[in-house]
Amino acid sequence: MAYPYRHDKEVRILSAHFGDPAARTLEGWRARGGYEALKKALEMGPDAVIEEVKKSGLRGRGGAGFPTGMKWSFMPKDDGKPHYLLINADESEPGAFKDRELLRWTPHQVIEGALIGGFAIRATHVYIYMRGEFFEPAQIVGRAIEEAYAAGFAGKDIMGSGVDLDITLHIGAGAYICGEETALMNSLEGRRGQPRVKPPFPAAVGAFGMPTTINNVETISTVPHIIKNGGDWYRQWGTEKSPGTKLFNVSGHVVRRGNYELPLGFNLKELIYDVCGGIRDGRSLKAVIPGGSSVPILSADEIDIAMDYESVAAAGSMLGTASVIVMDDRTNIVKQVRRMVEFYAHESCGQCTPCREGTAWLAKILRRIERGEGTEADLDTLLEIGANMTGTTICVLSDSAAAPVASSIRKFRDEYLALIKREARPVAVAAGA
Amino acid sequence: MGANEQKETITCTINGVQVEVPKGTRIIEAAEQAGVGIPHYCYHPGLSAPAMCRMCLVEVEGMPKLTPACVTQVADGQVINTESEKARTARTGVLEFYLINHPLDCPICDQAGECKLQDYAAQEGRKHGRFLETKRVFGRDDFGGDILYEGSRCIMCTRCVRFMREVAGDDALGVVQRGNRSVIDTFFDHGLEGSMWAGNIVDICPVGALISKDFLHKARAWDLDRTPSICPNCSQGCNIRIETRDNVVMRLKPRENPDVNAYWMCDYGRHRYEWMNRLDRIEAPLVRDASGKLVATSWQQAVTELVERLSAVRGKAPVYAVGSAMHANEDNGLLARLVEALGGGTLVFRSARAEDEVVCPGFPKLARRCDLAANVRGLEALGFARTGDDEAKGGLSVPAGATLIVLGDALADQPETFGADAGLFVYLGDQLGDAARNADFVLPLTTFAEQEGTFTNFEGRVQRFWPALQAPGLARPAWQILGVALAGLEVVPAPASAADAFLQLGAAFGAFQGLSYEIIGPRGALLNESVKITAGGAEVV
Amino acid sequence: MSVKNPGWAGETGEFSHLTEADVRGTDFVGKRPAEGGHPGGACSYPYMLAEKDPNAPLFEGPYRERLKKILSRYPNRQGALLPTLNLAQEIRGYISPETMEEVARELGLSPAYVRGVATFYTMYNKAPVGRYLVQVCTNVCCNLCGADEVMEAFLEATGTVPGETTEDGMFTVVEAECLGACGFPTVVQINERYFENVDPTEVPAILERLRTEAAASKNGASAPAPGAEGSGEEA
Repeated sequence: MAYPYRHDKEVRILSAHFGDPAARTLEGWRARGGYEALKKALEMGPDAVIEEVKKSGLRGRGGAGFPTGMKWSFMPKDDGKPHYLLINADESEPGAFKDRELLRWTPHQVIEGALIGGFAIRATHVYIYMRGEFFEPAQIVGRAIEEAYAAGFAGKDIMGSGVDLDITLHIGAGAYICGEETALMNSLEGRRGQPRVKPPFPAAVGAFGMPTTINNVETISTVPHIIKNGGDWYRQWGTEKSPGTKLFNVSGHVVRRGNYELPLGFNLKELIYDVCGGIRDGRSLKAVIPGGSSVPILSADEIDIAMDYESVAAAGSMLGTASVIVMDDRTNIVKQVRRMVEFYAHESCGQCTPCREGTAWLAKILRRIERGEGTEADLDTLLEIGANMTGTTICVLSDSAAAPVASSIRKFRDEYLALIKREARPVAVAAGA
Repeated sequence: MGANEQKETITCTINGVQVEVPKGTRIIEAAEQAGVGIPHYCYHPGLSAPAMCRMCLVEVEGMPKLTPACVTQVADGQVINTESEKARTARTGVLEFYLINHPLDCPICDQAGECKLQDYAAQEGRKHGRFLETKRVFGRDDFGGDILYEGSRCIMCTRCVRFMREVAGDDALGVVQRGNRSVIDTFFDHGLEGSMWAGNIVDICPVGALISKDFLHKARAWDLDRTPSICPNCSQGCNIRIETRDNVVMRLKPRENPDVNAYWMCDYGRHRYEWMNRLDRIEAPLVRDASGKLVATSWQQAVTELVERLSAVRGKAPVYAVGSAMHANEDNGLLARLVEALGGGTLVFRSARAEDEVVCPGFPKLARRCDLAANVRGLEALGFARTGDDEAKGGLSVPAGATLIVLGDALADQPETFGADAGLFVYLGDQLGDAARNADFVLPLTTFAEQEGTFTNFEGRVQRFWPALQAPGLARPAWQILGVALAGLEVVPAPASAADAFLQLGAAFGAFQGLSYEIIGPRGALLNESVKITAGGAEVV
Repeated sequence: MSVKNPGWAGETGEFSHLTEADVRGTDFVGKRPAEGGHPGGACSYPYMLAEKDPNAPLFEGPYRERLKKILSRYPNRQGALLPTLNLAQEIRGYISPETMEEVARELGLSPAYVRGVATFYTMYNKAPVGRYLVQVCTNVCCNLCGADEVMEAFLEATGTVPGETTEDGMFTVVEAECLGACGFPTVVQINERYFENVDPTEVPAILERLRTEAAASKNGASAPAPGAEGSGEEA
């Protein structure tokens, strides 16, 4: 059962209980097989859990696609320090709305995964960092944590295993950048949510200066299923390099927007035209952003691709969070790019100069073009600013802001030119009037 | 690291120059060794490095992305290029971002001429701007104390925020708001006025965002003459620069010395320089004539008469000498020798003391010391005894008929009758107060700012200073006047220079034995005593 | 094609049998105690509420209990800064300079530091807002589906400009960045609740619903929305 729509081609593992209010409670979750994986994991021991996750080939669902088992194996052993597991529930990437569904429909799935992950990396404390706006999911997860403690699944001696593991829900206060893992750590520590320079990497010096691992909600929600059914079981879906299923969150001009759990490698065109029922109002497709607003845009003729990490990259974009934003033929690309850039300007933490200044500058130029006061030279300037913003900052927010600008100018130059030519004022503007 | 452990070194190549550096050295520091300056804003050697200004990006062979030189440690065999096409393009790009919203108000900005934004933009910025939009404008904010903040000029390097947190130990500044709306601010109407260290944020601000009210629109940086010196205002001995224009001190700035003050100085010392600019100075030697009037005369005549009078009282009258902790070791040392030559006597000095030390939390070696004069320790090493109270008043008891010699002490607290019953009263100073008017000889002295010399700080560190101002009229350094007098008494030849005078100290006083200007060097040298520094100051073991 | 549940303007697709309470999880969450329940969930309370009192004392009674629980979850006091600011806004509705100072004192931080952190995060109101803070997402996914019109409709219906509070103190309408519910455009966050799939024609009905809730709350009846038990009112 995906929510609010479902489709026969789905493989519903994570999303099996979306739309099922009874699955929220501990009782309901246990009736659906919940916490069996935690019990099994505690019996297997941390190293076997990491091995199983490695075997599954599970890759981080937060956007970067880093292998989860390998990430866990970076954590030091027997170093005598407290370790932390942070669950990134700061879902804020425009286009992404999958973690919210996981949190509000299946809180115990998230908690169970978090406890298994925490156990595997020998954590003393798991923090779920949830974005502040998610008050409703936060209430649900907060309540579920209380249930988990009451049942002895969290806290001292969990499930009689002798393992102590605390779990705390921490809610943010409105900052997209806190989804970046080091900014998230700073925010958790009560600082401004600014990304940190790496190295040191979180596994060495993370939250509160201690070894730390950060996993996305979707990643950690997958873990109980892998532990319960085995790594090989998980590999029956997806591709060799991108195994398993993934929540594809589709928004924009499709008939049936929603979350669809499909094997990685699922065809994007099929996703849009079959699973989501095609374009609304009988319109035709203009563009698709396949992985959330931070990734390069694809034109309508570029969408016959497999949605896995490698194939989307080969097509010149990124799978990211598999947040597919669909734009029909009426879409004003310049306006939407401007809106995305304004978002990045608003959300730039402000520490690195190229990002702090560049995002706002891009937005100003795009607004001017939209007003019909642009010149063709502005397009070159936009591209150059974007190039200067790429690869020159601590985190990739800067690159993310530049990506849709560059890809849209490359693929939809005509739309920019149409706005530029609407008004015959370019000479005056160029002269600085 | 223990003294016996060998320090591991590694070799890297920067712009074709091979350098050997200790393991753990950061690229920006290794580059300095190789003679390569890497442009930077947020990095400061005395602060943590956030790597956020993005100016110091360099190309490291084998690394796909440019690397911030301020936080990256060099690896053995690494090949680093700061002038590659990629690195230069990145810097030009970053500079453009800095300039788009910058007001470009250099003509009215105090930082112009010593501004890193100006310097780098001139070096490798774009020739023409291409920012056609409306600039972001932030107003001026009074941070309290001596500090003004010009938001529009700020490049958000956060050196000031980190200084206040890490060095001043007072988290009084923060970045407020985020993104390109970020500004530096205090907590609403809380200001920096209570801080002893806030003045340093003006020094470390690489642009004209933080400016000194005291220096506001007073001088252009390129018109200033800069002279290395030692802060005279307490016994810490902070290394400073005296910055002057047209023979007037405009401001004091700290000068790096890792053993004394790192990169910092306190606001107490920083703002006490106006006295160096006083114009009501004694400008010529004054000698009391037969009619009892003080009459201006030449140095030759004054010293000749002085030697005559000294010879007459030599060994016959008790001697009472007052030294000054605002004057050099050389000056006071020759006074002590003169007293000795006259048959010995009492050596005293008066110096103001504050109740408490104000220690710099982030660099505890540095403090505004209790002794509010530079050379208290030097005077003690030369045999002077402290007298008077903590405000440098009282405590003088001149035996009737004594030979009284006062050096540098303005005697402001003393009655008009002071020294009237002395057998001979010689006053060497720069101000002519009522008490000094009783002297038989009034000899005009230079201040420390007008001469070369050394101070000995609280821990016994002897440090040099140089003349920053031209002395008014016929004022001369005390060591020169006293040296000539001693030569006249046929004790020693007159020293030809301050260096000579210093060497003479070594001959006469054990604490200074073996020291010379060469040995003092740029970081100072300790007196010949073992010194233990405690929280309460220096203690001789 | 889309199925609307008129009670809360959410598109429930094939799940039109679900009630608003089902979707919001109201029954599961229940009434949560002001003192915070289990410490693991003590930071999870909403802090954008209709009931707030800018002059209420912070950290007293059950809120002192909650703060203790919050502090027990972090290795140092600074770690508790965001949850503590959240608690302060839950009680007072916004973070005034005085509130920043109180929080700073409580956690042993400097007020300037607290100000730096509080201003970094957009959800902290630096000035009082209306009883209902209406945040309309206008980011790309909602924008494609008419968010600008929804924003316009809210401004028109309230007769305000963005950020301005209506004269009766009921509504403040602002533009918001992506709220993470992109499949349900246009998303509008009103205090602690999301209203999804909002189209401009529904705006008057939503505002009417809020007015009714406000009236009910003033008459002593409890509002239907879940939230901390008596948070605000008891303070």
